[in-house]
Amino acid sequence: MSASTMCTTALSFTRTNGLCLGNYALSLLSRTATYSTALSTNNGKGFPNRPIRGPRRPKRESGAPRTEKMLENQDWTAVYPSAAPFKPSAVPLPVRMGYPVNRGVPAEKKGNLELMKIPNFLHLTPAAIQKHCDALKPFCTEWPASLDSDAACEEHFPIQLESKEFVSAGSSLRNPKTRVVTLKVKLSSLNLDEHARKKMVKLVDDRYCKETDTLTIVTESCPLRQQNYDYAMYLLTVLYHESWKTEVWEAEKTRADMEEYHWEDSRSQKNVLDTLRRMRVTSEGEEDPGAVREELLGQPEVQEYRESVTRLKNEGETEETMLQYREAVKKLLNV
Amino acid sequence: MHFVNVKMASSGVHAGRHIYNKSLIFLNNLELIYPRRALACTASAWQKTALASNGSSEEIVIPRKKTWSKEALLQALTSTVKRDPTAAHYTFQDDSYLTPRTSGEFKLYSLSQESGKAAAKYFINTYPKFFQKDFAEPHIPCLMPETFELQIEEVSEAALVERIQLRKVKAAVDMYDQLLQSGTTLSLDLTNDLLDLICLYGDQDPKDDSDPEQKTEDVVEVQDDPRKRRPRIRRASDIVRVVWKENNNAERIFNLMPERDSRSYGAMIQGMARHEAYDKAFSTYTDLLNNRLTANVHTFNALILASPEVREKYIEKRDLIFELLNQMAEQKVRPNLLTFNAALRALRRCGNMARSQALLIFGEMKALGITPSLASYDHLLGIFYKAASSTQGHTEILQDVLNEISGQSFEPQDPDDVMFFLNAMRVCLEHKDLEAAYRLHSLMQEGENWKLLGDAHQQSMYYGRFFNILCMMEHIDVVLKWYKEMIPSLYYPHSQGMIDLLQALDTDGRLDLIPEIWKDIKQMGHDNKVELVDEMLSLMAREKQSSEVQESFAQCALDVKRRYVPSEFGKPVLEWTANSLGSITSLLLAAEKRQQAWEMMKLFKASNRVPTDALMEDFLSSIKEVQDTNQAVELVQMSARFCLAGTPMLTKRVKEEFVLTEDHRATLSSLEFSSDGNRDLTC
Repeated sequence: MSASTMCTTALSFTRTNGLCLGNYALSLLSRTATYSTALSTNNGKGFPNRPIRGPRRPKRESGAPRTEKMLENQDWTAVYPSAAPFKPSAVPLPVRMGYPVNRGVPAEKKGNLELMKIPNFLHLTPAAIQKHCDALKPFCTEWPASLDSDAACEEHFPIQLESKEFVSAGSSLRNPKTRVVTLKVKLSSLNLDEHARKKMVKLVDDRYCKETDTLTIVTESCPLRQQNYDYAMYLLTVLYHESWKTEVWEAEKTRADMEEYHWEDSRSQKNVLDTLRRMRVTSEGEEDPGAVREELLGQPEVQEYRESVTRLKNEGETEETMLQYREAVKKLLNV
Repeated sequence: MHFVNVKMASSGVHAGRHIYNKSLIFLNNLELIYPRRALACTASAWQKTALASNGSSEEIVIPRKKTWSKEALLQALTSTVKRDPTAAHYTFQDDSYLTPRTSGEFKLYSLSQESGKAAAKYFINTYPKFFQKDFAEPHIPCLMPETFELQIEEVSEAALVERIQLRKVKAAVDMYDQLLQSGTTLSLDLTNDLLDLICLYGDQDPKDDSDPEQKTEDVVEVQDDPRKRRPRIRRASDIVRVVWKENNNAERIFNLMPERDSRSYGAMIQGMARHEAYDKAFSTYTDLLNNRLTANVHTFNALILASPEVREKYIEKRDLIFELLNQMAEQKVRPNLLTFNAALRALRRCGNMARSQALLIFGEMKALGITPSLASYDHLLGIFYKAASSTQGHTEILQDVLNEISGQSFEPQDPDDVMFFLNAMRVCLEHKDLEAAYRLHSLMQEGENWKLLGDAHQQSMYYGRFFNILCMMEHIDVVLKWYKEMIPSLYYPHSQGMIDLLQALDTDGRLDLIPEIWKDIKQMGHDNKVELVDEMLSLMAREKQSSEVQESFAQCALDVKRRYVPSEFGKPVLEWTANSLGSITSLLLAAEKRQQAWEMMKLFKASNRVPTDALMEDFLSSIKEVQDTNQAVELVQMSARFCLAGTPMLTKRVKEEFVLTEDHRATLSSLEFSSDGNRDLTC
């Protein structure tokens, strides 16, 4: 009690004298009387007590986060107009993220590095997207009314081109991936006959997808997108013309080069003929082998067998094809 | 993904092109006969014509692609973004610790940012060899190091040209002298360029912030702060004043020139007018006329600006201005916007008679087809509304001006454009015209006009005046709405602004909002302003409010009290005044915090302030409710110590209303005696 009264009188003494002696003088005054508590203030930082020379500025405190001033019906697109990292003082949501240590809860949003690391889409709320679309509408032209279905688009514009644009914040605007051009076209929309089609497929090899009947050409060898586009169109044209041409050496196409299985002149035909001939040999003697062959081939069982084998080889082994084959064989061998 | 018409993509084979429009059958034949020549394009073309010939009336019309400038898309997207009223200025970090909360912090942070940029620029320009590698694609020229050093050392014309381009005035003059001494004759154009340079800078090297050697020059006339950056503080010492010296280099070179043309004269006149040698400017002009040369429009502009300085009386000034304008017409020099703005600016110094002349000038401008800029309107307002004149309800001019320019978006054309909004708002404030203020504000938000508000200081003055007029004239709800919108994101009000706001609250009886306002005051750093805090406390303590409000007031009062107590860091923020002590005590009493109120009473003595009688009466009534006789007697003792006039009243009341013991009675009687006896000595 005495120390505090001493302090207060010392205070009034300094003030009424108009002197600003500061904390040091104050502690000096009180120290002469009693061992006061003026010097033993713990700074809270764990430092030893330093002599305070003059009034020290108080440590700056953080202000209130601006979420407190935000109204519910504020314009969120103004708070996050573009992609920005997560700012806990600007996002009025009580989000938590992190692993709960010691059976606690996930860490709060203030100073949360996990929330700042991940990409956020706070700038792309539905309201923002709606505004952007409304702003971009004047730049767009109308869609042609007659192109109202996918089929119509396919029919009139069979070639589809894809390319990518990249936007990033960095010192350079250029991205080497923008030069890639992908060209897709359905072969059914091209004017190809059988030979041309088969040759085209052989020419492009991997780039043709059988299920969707799509030829995909990806060009990235030139440095500019325009050049790659020209190159892709050039490739398409060249392929088309080349597949229509028939070279001399194409006549040497062997059975191994064939895309589909032909029963004529195959081993299966030979085997069937041999089998049937042997079945018949008991009845007649020497005959014209050609006529026999023709006659044998003309039989409906042989035709059926031919169908089933061709189907089996071309389409693969399924329940149905195997059954068909079995039926054909049974009929052929009169089993 | 975009669909491409294959027709456009074909390369080279022309045969198919002109068959595109032919009929179906022909194409079919063509396919069969010339399979090689059939194009990929004909397939789709065939299909396309097939569609057309199939009888469907639809044709595929591919619309023309629109083109736009490079920034148009971005500008369209930015138009969707409006201002966020809770955010600070965009240049600052958006964090609750790092955003500036007071106007001092705002200045400090923006200055430090600019200083950082200037330091970086300094390093890049001083050591350019470390910054040669160019990372930016496409090339950004303003980020590369600039050379300010002179490359050419030998005496030649190219060296002179280089020095002129790099704005090295002294070096250019030296080089010129050396060239003359070595006997080379210089072309008139080059000499004119040199004259332009010297006259523009008034024969001083331009103050270059990045060059530390400049500051050590001993230049007497120049009073200028080399650290001058945004925002500027308008002090007289900050303004650069370069004065035209007698017989300086410009005059010397001018006199040495073998022949002078109108451009040389023009340079001299403009330099003299710019650097306050007005009489010389006019005498040079008469020389020019004597040599039968014509001056150009910039020269005339400079002369018109200088004309108020060379004449004393209003009539003479006006006559001079008009004489110059007539001469301009005679010499067939076409005036531009700056001419008229100069004339209006000069007319501002011509007193009241300038009003009709100003309207004449506006008529001339319209006749010539020059649209007035904001500076013209600013000068017009300045002519019509002199700063300390009595308000005569002359807001018609302001209304007319607003009618004329409403809805227009202006571009900066004259350096004085930025003063328009400021002065117009001042006029609105003086005439208390709220509607005009609203119109002005909506004009400011139109298009690009926000760019013409000026620097941070001018902006804060504009918003300060706007808020002032709102507080004076508008209903409190509207005021609070604007308060939330403008503060602190647009400007930081000073303590007078907060006092206005408190008075507006008082007018509309919304004193219960004061604790909220106190939080804002604390945040803005105005809690060390004695008048503001006193005003706030007295407003709170004046009337009795409902109990929750009283409670919040008491909490606020306790918070305020902390400001008066010396903290561990040194002096207390505020000094006690009688008003503040009394207000806080009565607030605590009203919220029935008697113990704390009692402590406050002790502080009266400690800080040598005297409580009012009314306060003592209130306290007594409050004590009566708890019937604490000891405290009542102590109160009377305290009152006696302060020699208050109401002490006998108090004593009487205590005797009547309380149950007193013998001790109490004795104390009271002694008090009466002592008060009677010692009145002359202690009081």
